[in-house]
Amino acid sequence: MKRICKQTVLILLAILCITSLAFAGGGKATKEKAEEEIVIAYTGFPGGITPFWAQMTQYVKEEAEALGVTLLDMSPTQADAAMQKDSVDNAINRGVDGIIIGAVDNRAFGESLDNAAAKGIFCVAVDTAIDHPHISALAQTDNLASARLLGQYIVDHTPTKGKALILGGTLGHQTGDARRDGVRQVLEANGFEVIFRACNWDDRLAYETAINELGAHPDIVVVFGAWDPGALAGLAAVKEKGLMNKIKVYGFDGLPPAIKSIQNGELTATIKQDNKQMAQVIMRSLVAQIEGQETVKKLLIDGFVIDSSNADQFAE
Amino acid sequence: MEKKSTMPRITSVVLSRMRKEFQPLLGLLIIYAIFAILSSTFRTLDTFKTILTQAVILGTLATGSTIVLISGGLDLSIGSLFGLIAVCTGRMFLLGFPVALVVFFSLAIGAACGALNGAIIVGTGIPAFIGTLGMMMGYRGLAELLGANRDMSQFPESFQMIGRGYLIPIGIMVMTFLLVYIILSRTKLGFNCYAIGGSNEMARRGGVPVKKYYIVYYTLGGLCAAISAIILASRLNFTNSSWGVGLELNAIGAVIIGGTSLTGGVGGVGRTVIGVLIVTTLNAGLSHLGVSSSWQRISIGAVIIFAVWLDIMQRRREAKG
Repeated sequence: MKRICKQTVLILLAILCITSLAFAGGGKATKEKAEEEIVIAYTGFPGGITPFWAQMTQYVKEEAEALGVTLLDMSPTQADAAMQKDSVDNAINRGVDGIIIGAVDNRAFGESLDNAAAKGIFCVAVDTAIDHPHISALAQTDNLASARLLGQYIVDHTPTKGKALILGGTLGHQTGDARRDGVRQVLEANGFEVIFRACNWDDRLAYETAINELGAHPDIVVVFGAWDPGALAGLAAVKEKGLMNKIKVYGFDGLPPAIKSIQNGELTATIKQDNKQMAQVIMRSLVAQIEGQETVKKLLIDGFVIDSSNADQFAE
Repeated sequence: MEKKSTMPRITSVVLSRMRKEFQPLLGLLIIYAIFAILSSTFRTLDTFKTILTQAVILGTLATGSTIVLISGGLDLSIGSLFGLIAVCTGRMFLLGFPVALVVFFSLAIGAACGALNGAIIVGTGIPAFIGTLGMMMGYRGLAELLGANRDMSQFPESFQMIGRGYLIPIGIMVMTFLLVYIILSRTKLGFNCYAIGGSNEMARRGGVPVKKYYIVYYTLGGLCAAISAIILASRLNFTNSSWGVGLELNAIGAVIIGGTSLTGGVGGVGRTVIGVLIVTTLNAGLSHLGVSSSWQRISIGAVIIFAVWLDIMQRRREAKG
């Protein structure tokens, strides 16, 4: 009898846990979707990985609230393309009206987007382009142009030509490739020898790669990290090697830690991405499409250089 | 008088055994029912098919872990091996290998690496935890070396068919389950797996070539990791060296949730199927309820602790008789 009571209590406890988790999600699932309610799923890089994506999630939520639509944050907990594809599939089955994808890897979604198209669910991309006909809008930094801008800045601020180390994202990732190409084109055109290493957007790998390359190539004069945390990892390697007076380090994103580093005279410059504008534009575009209105389909936002001359303006 | 007291005891043993066998299944049904009640979008055929598809990668990987765990071993390297095989698959396509050869060599690499794990453990006598931890780092490093600075994507159409849609990947997963089920329940290899896991020393004294069998079990674990990696590479149509980070723990977690014991000698692939389905159902169900993925992880962690605690309680009850 005692055992039966114990087991009953355990089963009730399990049921209680699951239902309380439902309410942890805002209790939205318990009510049926209202006739006019627009439900949008968002899946980006996990916010814990980089402040850029933590901010992006926040801006997307704020814009959803401003537009009066329900937002489900279905971002994976790891920067894992398979997990993100699963979250898109779950959103499709859940019957949302639209999905915003900040792709961990832009190559992972073919089949899922076909399914979304078959079910009439609008899909848009933010930050990273996804090459699929069902992606109906894109808001991102003009990575190629911004990287060229930074490349020119590097050329102008590096009197001694030498080797430049690029710590890149994942090879084949649209955003990472554009940043690599933009900086590389300008540097090579101006007599630099470029060493490119793909670091999969992994800060640890960026640090280890930088340490190894700095050891192997004593004539490196520039380190460019294709994302700010990667650039800061490169900076740590430069510091550790005692090469701060010889090597200039550059980033891309314009995140608070990078700006602080510029203020401290460590990082030389970074490109500021306007992720708030990206979030606003893509959310408005998606809602307009769901409501059957004409809207912006592609927005390329210009990045700009933050260095010691204007870092204070952007410091939080 | 004797007859009267024996029958209830037999009934009690049978009931206890049945409860143990069906507890995870009951858990799965309860979880599924709760989500079906709470979310109208969850109780659809599409969602059911998606849950099965999402179970494919973890399911095939966890099948290999089941064999290793039942034998009393532990393989922490399968996540890294998964990444290494994915990279090897991509590299072979870059080198222009035909699809059949890529699949064959990927499976062979998985099996060979699994065999190497087993050989290191039985050859050196170091604990499986340490041996496979070392190999985990080794395989990851190798994957990074082979995958560095290479775009491995856009595979041939015939390769993409392996992981596309529902039927083929789910079919491969079911075939893997069935094969391992037959191995474990109908062959000497399987019987000895339980015997070695139950008591390594007793099995050895009984004339079982324990070291040889260990290598075979780890080989099967590596082979399952290869099947899993091939399916994901074909499903996503690209690979990179960061794949599989932490996946070994997800696989072991799913096996444990199903009721296979971490200490060896007890378990089965049927239980792993249920364990994997519990994990994927929880993920999908909580997504349908709008619960963030961080909370999904917390809930799966709680389920693992709950499952192991149930297992411990049951063992204690059995020990008391």
